[in-house]
Amino acid sequence: MTTAERGSASGLEPKSRRTPMSIGRDTMARVQSRFTSPLHDERIAAWLGIALGVCFATAFITGLYSHFAQHPPSWFELPARPAGLYRITQGIHVATGIASIPLLLAKLWVVFPKLFHWPPFESVAHFVERVFLFPLVAGSLFLLVSGLANINLWYPWAFAFPKAHYWAAWITIGALVAHIGAKWSITRSVISRRPARLPVDDAPETARVPAVIGAAHVAALADRRRFLATVFGVSGIVTLFTLGETVSPLSKLALLSPRRPNVGPQGFPVNRTAYSARVRRTAVSPDFRLIVEGKVSRPLSLSIDEVRSLPQHSATLPIACVEGWSTSQHWTGVRVRDLLEMVGAAPDATVHVQSLEPIGGYASSDIDTVQAHDPDTLLALLVNNEPLELDHGYPLRLIGPGRPGVLQTKWVTRLVVA
Amino acid sequence: VNANRGPMPAPPDSATATASAWTFWIAAVIGAGIMFYGVRGLLADQTGPALTSFGKWFIGADVLHDLVIAPVACTIGWALGRVLNPPWRFPIQAGLFASAVVFVIGWAPLRGYGRDTVPTNTTVDPLNYVSAIATVLAFVWIVVALWVAIARWRQRHTTLTSPTATDRNQSE
Repeated sequence: MTTAERGSASGLEPKSRRTPMSIGRDTMARVQSRFTSPLHDERIAAWLGIALGVCFATAFITGLYSHFAQHPPSWFELPARPAGLYRITQGIHVATGIASIPLLLAKLWVVFPKLFHWPPFESVAHFVERVFLFPLVAGSLFLLVSGLANINLWYPWAFAFPKAHYWAAWITIGALVAHIGAKWSITRSVISRRPARLPVDDAPETARVPAVIGAAHVAALADRRRFLATVFGVSGIVTLFTLGETVSPLSKLALLSPRRPNVGPQGFPVNRTAYSARVRRTAVSPDFRLIVEGKVSRPLSLSIDEVRSLPQHSATLPIACVEGWSTSQHWTGVRVRDLLEMVGAAPDATVHVQSLEPIGGYASSDIDTVQAHDPDTLLALLVNNEPLELDHGYPLRLIGPGRPGVLQTKWVTRLVVA
Repeated sequence: VNANRGPMPAPPDSATATASAWTFWIAAVIGAGIMFYGVRGLLADQTGPALTSFGKWFIGADVLHDLVIAPVACTIGWALGRVLNPPWRFPIQAGLFASAVVFVIGWAPLRGYGRDTVPTNTTVDPLNYVSAIATVLAFVWIVVALWVAIARWRQRHTTLTSPTATDRNQSE
């Protein structure tokens, strides 16, 4: 048998008649033939796809909520109740992101042989579907990598994380919607029918005996179940060992988390220290004043002792960071609504809160009408009945229900009423 | 790179094919609109070096996965498949996968990247992450060991209790 004949017998064209297309097809066919595992399977891909779709949709919705909470559009008002809402949504956001890591890696491994499909596309629809796969896969990896780095306060890039993560999420979700449209039919079909029997042609020649094929089929099904159980199990394990940064009873298990909710001055973590914020001198200065001004009939300028002499109120409220850690503490201080009443602000007043921090994206925050009039929105002087530590915002910090941690402004010195 | 992944499903009949095509094209138009919104916002927010950096990370993550991570994972899986036999093979592959994911998630605290970013903040990376990650890996491999032990016991039990060919012939 000549080389050309061997090529024909094996389904390849003779060398003399080979074109770039046929070379590409043969190369891809050879590469695809290397993937012999039955785990590169559409049923597994469908189940992992469903799990990833749920995780990404959940992370997208909770991420949008966090974005609106920090950058509210005109139609959005941050709800003050339930007080732990942001703690829950952001905890879920980070937890689903971490749980998605093994799911995504497994899903990409399962469909990896399809990367070598030839021809690259077979119709216009096929081409469009494949074009959407690039932003879907690249965006998914980008979101998980950048999100994981962010919860670790690690920024090895030149872009602004919050904006890049936010817009990448829109790009990825857009590609996901198109992908769901492409895979809707096959996913429904695959998960609603019983697992297909192994094709007889796939079985070795010597194994084409019904009992042996049946055994191979059972073994392949068991492999698929074990594979899915493993991937979901690993997803559960990494969730278990990180969730304790926001679920207090699991805090001792937070071995993979960059934070422990009970570690820090006065028993809870700090995101921005007084040193980083450059307030170590101004915060303890005897000249410190709390100023309330703006659209008011009686502006105020109070020393810290005068603030202490005002009626005090206590509330147990969570402090929930965008990076996923959260903790509830008992805060005591002056109600913002009492201050607004003292200065004669309008009933629908909003407040711009300014910190002693000279620069920085979170040196100020805004309180909308609902938040400003909530009885638990405080300028806190104490936490757990002790004066605030400098790193927690001494002498005064804002603490309100349902607010992201970055909006619980520390070292407050000025309220501008609007 | 990933534009080659996943063929369009072949619908079973023409009615389903039409419905499937409509579902795809409607989803594609909606998805393209959402993506356009994202790209427009990105270009408005990130310019110059920030945009270049974004592009490197966005494309780089995919290229790194397709050219390095996935081939390495496939090669390791293939090699283990040749070296190990049941009941060892699958639990060990699963244990390695779990260990890899644990390292991915624990890498930044293990290297103390957060502490490097904010050295004055002692509440970042507060644990000894060598022992923390070792504890998680110990948990993973204890599960793997139990898995192998149970699988071996079941294999042995099945071998001991299943009838031999002679037994079957005699009963017939």
